[in-house]
Amino acid sequence: MMRTGMILGLTLFATTLDAQQTIAERLTGRVPSEIAALVQELGGAAASRGLPVDPLIQKAIEGNAKAIPADRVAIAIRGVVAQLDSAAAALRDAGVASPVDTLEIAAGGFAITAGLRGRDIGELARTGRPTSDVIVGLRVAGTLAAMGVPREETVRLVGSSLRAQQAPGELLTLPGRVQSEMARGATPAQAAAGLARAAAAQARHGPPPDRGPPPDHGRPPRPLAPPLP
Amino acid sequence: MTQHEFDPRVKQLLDGELTLADLPAELRAEGEEALRLLAGVDRTSVSVPAVTWRVMAALERRRRRLWWLAPAVAIAAAVVLLLGRPSTPPTTLSATVVTVRFVLVAPGAHQVSVAGTFNRWDPSATPLVRSGTADTWVATIALPPGEHQYAFVVDGARWVPDPAAPAVDDGFGRRNSVLTL
Repeated sequence: MMRTGMILGLTLFATTLDAQQTIAERLTGRVPSEIAALVQELGGAAASRGLPVDPLIQKAIEGNAKAIPADRVAIAIRGVVAQLDSAAAALRDAGVASPVDTLEIAAGGFAITAGLRGRDIGELARTGRPTSDVIVGLRVAGTLAAMGVPREETVRLVGSSLRAQQAPGELLTLPGRVQSEMARGATPAQAAAGLARAAAAQARHGPPPDRGPPPDHGRPPRPLAPPLP
Repeated sequence: MTQHEFDPRVKQLLDGELTLADLPAELRAEGEEALRLLAGVDRTSVSVPAVTWRVMAALERRRRRLWWLAPAVAIAAAVVLLLGRPSTPPTTLSATVVTVRFVLVAPGAHQVSVAGTFNRWDPSATPLVRSGTADTWVATIALPPGEHQYAFVVDGARWVPDPAAPAVDDGFGRRNSVLTL
């Protein structure tokens, strides 16, 4: 038991060091030293919790490029960490097998930035689709929210589409389809609701006869964590 | 996406051969609508195999010699997309690259670029070039699939979100445009 704990501790330590080194390499000469030090500190801790560090690095570089004062950049970076923590917690609560994919956490973090909540992330993760599909679904959900689609309609549309086993390429067309409906005069909510009804019908009855099976037919289901005792 | 047949003069507008001011009054609304649709379509992902991108890269090299043809070629490609998207979206995202055309109408600007997560927020990395109409700036670049955030940088100092794209809070009190491919 003690040996397992030591191995885990060493692994975490190595992960933290590795993340800090990566951050240092990517930020050297790009941001003020105090911001680089902050990202190294926060990023190392984030990596040890299984969070991606790229969004922190990007936010630091973005703040510097936009000539934002260092104290405001620091606040923004802490905000990114909080969003990633929320997304990771939501995915774990949804039963996603540990460790959670860092791309999935980053996609969830983006969706939260766009206005979704942790429980929305969990609901999309619980559709039982493969991780790669859920990642695209979360990105699309964030995009729809950024377009002004209300949170509930966003989750209903993307959730229905995932349950209808729509392939990632098809999920990616949703923002454009919503935009087309909006160009015809529909509100974002109306546009999303109409598409969600169609996706729900597809989930119940399968794709229309002329479309054939979904492209990912036969793909193994997304692995879920075993139920808690 | 619906199919729509534009008036030939509106097509000339899309080709950069005419400006909105050149159109008769009764066609200006249609012209504005066409430009708006074109801007929207330009942000729609277009997945092409890597080999196709290499061909496009070769075209880009030729563009330097045939610069006067470039706007027509790029806009024609966008119009093709407008009239009919590929019916088989990609299923293996990692095997594709995506070409995206950024467009900004910036009256009076002397220099426009786009900076975002795809170029490390470097305002000098991806300049836009003037298109057929004097105020229209464009750039076509290849991006990996994923979620990208960006903004236009006008005259090296003014950060402007894309008016035709969804946007999120950037954490600094401004907005970043969002592009999901």
